[in-house]
Amino acid sequence: MAGVGYTAFTRDSGVSTLTLACRAIMAALDDAGLGPGDVDGLATHRVGDSVAPTVVGPALGVHDPTWHLDQFGGGSVSHAVVGQAALAVAAGLAETVVCYRAVNARSEFRMGGTGRGLPVSPEIQFQAPYGYVAPPQQYAMYARAHMLKYGTKAEHFGHIAVTQRASAAKNPRALMRTPITLDDYLAARWIAEPFRLLDCCLETDGACALVITTAERARTLRRPPVLISAAAWGGGASHLSGGAADPTTSAAAALAPRLYAQAGLGPSDIDVAELYDCFTYSVLVQLEDYGFCPKGEGGPYAVSAGRLPVNTHGGFLSEGYVHGINHIAEAVSQLRGDAADRQVPGAEVALSTAQPGYILPATSALILTKG
Amino acid sequence: MPDRDSAGWWELLARGEFAVQRCASCDTLRFPPRAFCPACHREGAHWAAIEPEGTVESWIVNHQAFTPGGAEPYLVVMVRLAAVPGCFVYGNWRGAREPRGGQAVRGVHTRAGDGVVLLDWRPAGP
Ligand SMILES: [Zn+2]
Repeated sequence: MAGVGYTAFTRDSGVSTLTLACRAIMAALDDAGLGPGDVDGLATHRVGDSVAPTVVGPALGVHDPTWHLDQFGGGSVSHAVVGQAALAVAAGLAETVVCYRAVNARSEFRMGGTGRGLPVSPEIQFQAPYGYVAPPQQYAMYARAHMLKYGTKAEHFGHIAVTQRASAAKNPRALMRTPITLDDYLAARWIAEPFRLLDCCLETDGACALVITTAERARTLRRPPVLISAAAWGGGASHLSGGAADPTTSAAAALAPRLYAQAGLGPSDIDVAELYDCFTYSVLVQLEDYGFCPKGEGGPYAVSAGRLPVNTHGGFLSEGYVHGINHIAEAVSQLRGDAADRQVPGAEVALSTAQPGYILPATSALILTKG
Repeated sequence: MPDRDSAGWWELLARGEFAVQRCASCDTLRFPPRAFCPACHREGAHWAAIEPEGTVESWIVNHQAFTPGGAEPYLVVMVRLAAVPGCFVYGNWRGAREPRGGQAVRGVHTRAGDGVVLLDWRPAGP
């Protein structure tokens, strides 16, 4: 990984997703010391809410990429896109790939609560008639199941929201930088009990891009390289009507062993983790399912003093929600040692994860290491 | 709303019944309706009427209308079906008090405003 780039994160960008994508890609290429003429691959994921590589490429004068990927999907595939780009580079199909995600998720295409049904599953027909359609509802349902089974408390979720806001206060990119307290969390209005407003990620306009190339080439470029040590895809049981016997376990539990095996590392080797935080609960369940604490103890672990640094940029709860890719970009910054006030001292190994497979049974994750 | 896999299921529900599919080859029960059995990978199934009974796995109390025309607050319950291992169904709650984890519940056929018959849930027993 040779470069990262962002647009500003806002609530109304005033520009198209094409413009956002181009701005983020140009910033990432500049970070790497490259230009559009060096790009021979483009990759993104989207759910009918953004621009394809076949539009972005020509807009930047990249007319004949040797590889591209237009992955259907939301947060569960955010890290899979980078994994596939790495495979394309390793296979020699492309030398320099830009991965991007560009959304006007506040001003144009809101993810939940608008009556826009999930475009991906016939099972929505058994849920929508009851007013059960949106990700905050689904995650709230699983969060309650975890509370009932393991005694997880609102204060555990609240601590995650408070801690991430404190990190965002040190992050100039973050949309929400005013610190909050546990009392603020508990006083926030209900969205879908047991979730309050501050359990939910921000709806954000913005884009983020990454530059992926061979390790050899990355070592010759402007920034210290970050290596992709593992990229894994996971399924696990469906949490929709047909499936899982245990809704308190995410698809990450199935993925984690093969991710760690690929890297030859384990949970104790991770210095910093950027865990997909569409909601507070998704952080808590991933702390368990990626092996940082025993199953059921994610709540007590999240509030423990010695816990792993998580979502150092503030995450989707406080930095902004660009659907996964901004987690990867923050992990890169941490490993390059350029995360300024929020730098985890000596960070050499980072875990970054996608939506842990609660809406549909799919997830993806990366282990990145200092080059 | 029904699709080619589910139309028959919705017709049964509209007649006041509750059914899942039973695999014609290996007898495995499955829901939602679909052509292939995930256990034996064969096509073919019969409708198996089951009691609309289960236990409360979880619930949410919605404080905003997530669908057009909804009135908040409203409660959606996630029910673990007794007759089909590992199968969850969702519906609105028709109990006087909030549900409890593990509470035994029973389905209630209800006619929604648009005439569609749905299945809500209430505490089991008289
Ligand atoms: Zn079968």
